[in-house]
Amino acid sequence: MTLAQAPIPARQRPWWTGPSFLLGAALTGLIVGLALISWLWTPYPPTQMMILNRLKPPSGANWFGTDQFGRDVLSMIMVGARNSLAVGLGAVGIGMILGATLGLLAAIRRDGWLDNLIMRTADFTHAFPAVLTAIMITAIAGPGMLNAVVAIGVLNLPYFARLARGAALQIWTQDYIQAARAAGLDNWQITGRHVLPNIAGVLVVQATIQFALAILAEAGLSYLGLGTQPPNPSWGRMLNEAQTFMAMQPWLAVFPGAAIAVTVLGFNLLGDGLRDALDPRLRRAR
Amino acid sequence: MIPYIGRRLFALGATLAGAALVIFLMLEVLPGDPAAVTLGLNAAPEALAALRAEMGLDRPAPLRFVLWIGGMLTGDFGLSYTYRVPVAQLIAERMAVTLPLALLAIALATLIGMPLGILAAARHNRPADAAVMVFAQAGLAIPNFWFGLLLVLVFAIGLGWLPAGGFPGWQAGLLPGFKALAMPALALALPQAAILARVTRSSMLDTLQEDFVRTARAKGLSERVTILRHALRNALIPVVTILGLQFSVLIAGAIIIENVFALPGLGRLVFQSIAQHDLIVVKDLVMLFAALAILLNFAVELLYGVIDPRLRQVS
Repeated sequence: MTLAQAPIPARQRPWWTGPSFLLGAALTGLIVGLALISWLWTPYPPTQMMILNRLKPPSGANWFGTDQFGRDVLSMIMVGARNSLAVGLGAVGIGMILGATLGLLAAIRRDGWLDNLIMRTADFTHAFPAVLTAIMITAIAGPGMLNAVVAIGVLNLPYFARLARGAALQIWTQDYIQAARAAGLDNWQITGRHVLPNIAGVLVVQATIQFALAILAEAGLSYLGLGTQPPNPSWGRMLNEAQTFMAMQPWLAVFPGAAIAVTVLGFNLLGDGLRDALDPRLRRAR
Repeated sequence: MIPYIGRRLFALGATLAGAALVIFLMLEVLPGDPAAVTLGLNAAPEALAALRAEMGLDRPAPLRFVLWIGGMLTGDFGLSYTYRVPVAQLIAERMAVTLPLALLAIALATLIGMPLGILAAARHNRPADAAVMVFAQAGLAIPNFWFGLLLVLVFAIGLGWLPAGGFPGWQAGLLPGFKALAMPALALALPQAAILARVTRSSMLDTLQEDFVRTARAKGLSERVTILRHALRNALIPVVTILGLQFSVLIAGAIIIENVFALPGLGRLVFQSIAQHDLIVVKDLVMLFAALAILLNFAVELLYGVIDPRLRQVS
């Protein structure tokens, strides 16, 4: 078939108009927006207690009602967004930077003992339930936001190490790597100039999905009292406190949970949308 | 097959030993003095010395490690500092709640997730498919402890059908026991069902592309028989493995869910032990959970090798 006879491809829509990506971007945009605004403004100071105004249902003055101390639930959710995103960013950042570095190193030393050591350690960490790591860290170091970040970060590490190694190994087989080597670049220069830029997309997609998991993990740890500590508001802890008053004031349990669900859904959809853009072949399979 | 199993067994042993070492280092060596962690800042020196002797802390760390492993292998898990009973007894008691809870959750997840996945694949790109995918996205996004709270709102507080929490014990009868576990199991099952629905769907879609499915259709079999008798069997392999691999997620869920519903299971025990600084119990339980997760991973890998002989060559 000559070029002139080739079928004209159907006009493709730009990748960013896919429904997953648009909805994901809208939801994450909403949460990130709330978190950013909370630095400048919240309806009420989030830790301000107004006992006379306690356990009020949603109203014009308090859109999401007030809790058992008379704190404004919307203000707490806005600041909680900031804390959740911060933990997610820290945990995924640790996991991605350390994990990808180890994965890239394993790809350079492929099939050597260092590669084996890194990958077996990743397998091992993977088999180890993350919440147990968090529990051990808390058992000896006490609960706190930073400990939660470390625990969730450790959980993220093996995902990125494996992904980076697998993707990097594919790049290493390309002809332009041979060319770069012939031009006199060493392994690290090739990794920095050719391998990393080519696998960055895959890493970002995975980071988006791991971010959603990190938000869920942080909420769970905070619910158990092992994550963000009071008076710093966190969605998980708000749910824990809501449980006592749930029979009479169900909204206390509804809004923080919905905030978690919306954030996780947003990042999951965003990740799906980005993955579709990166590899359209995957679209059907999911 | 034998060398394959041998290699896997060696890897299993190494992983278990590695896990034990990490747990031991983190909970007995890193804190400096586990007895001081257990008793807190204001402990009397005599009490500290007594506990150190009881925990065997006067012995060198490598010996303690060997004694700990040897004890666990022979069923001696040590003595709980707060409960003053053998940890093995505590675990056995709590297992009577956690094990049925986990099994019930896996059963519910399978009963919900697999049929939905099959339905979605059979009705690919139609409304039923879209509905299942929406369910799957929601199931992955909703934190299971929040879903548990919502279930309590509806079925315990609203309708009054089920208890909001607690466990009457199996001696109270099977029905009260299962009623107490129904909502926690459903909450635990939701994300698993969502994952299963997605995996079943994508695995079925792949299988439906295969030649033997076209042959089955070509020879005039109904769509129902084609899907259920021919495609499903082949699509099941990844589905079964996902069930095994999700176990560690289930453990994490159980620790939280047991606290939501105040169930006296292993998850609540490990959490309470942290609050009470009962490091002996924490150490044993974390090792138990890790060993279970590692053994299940191993079983799944072995199953892979049985199902697909090509995989025996790879590792």
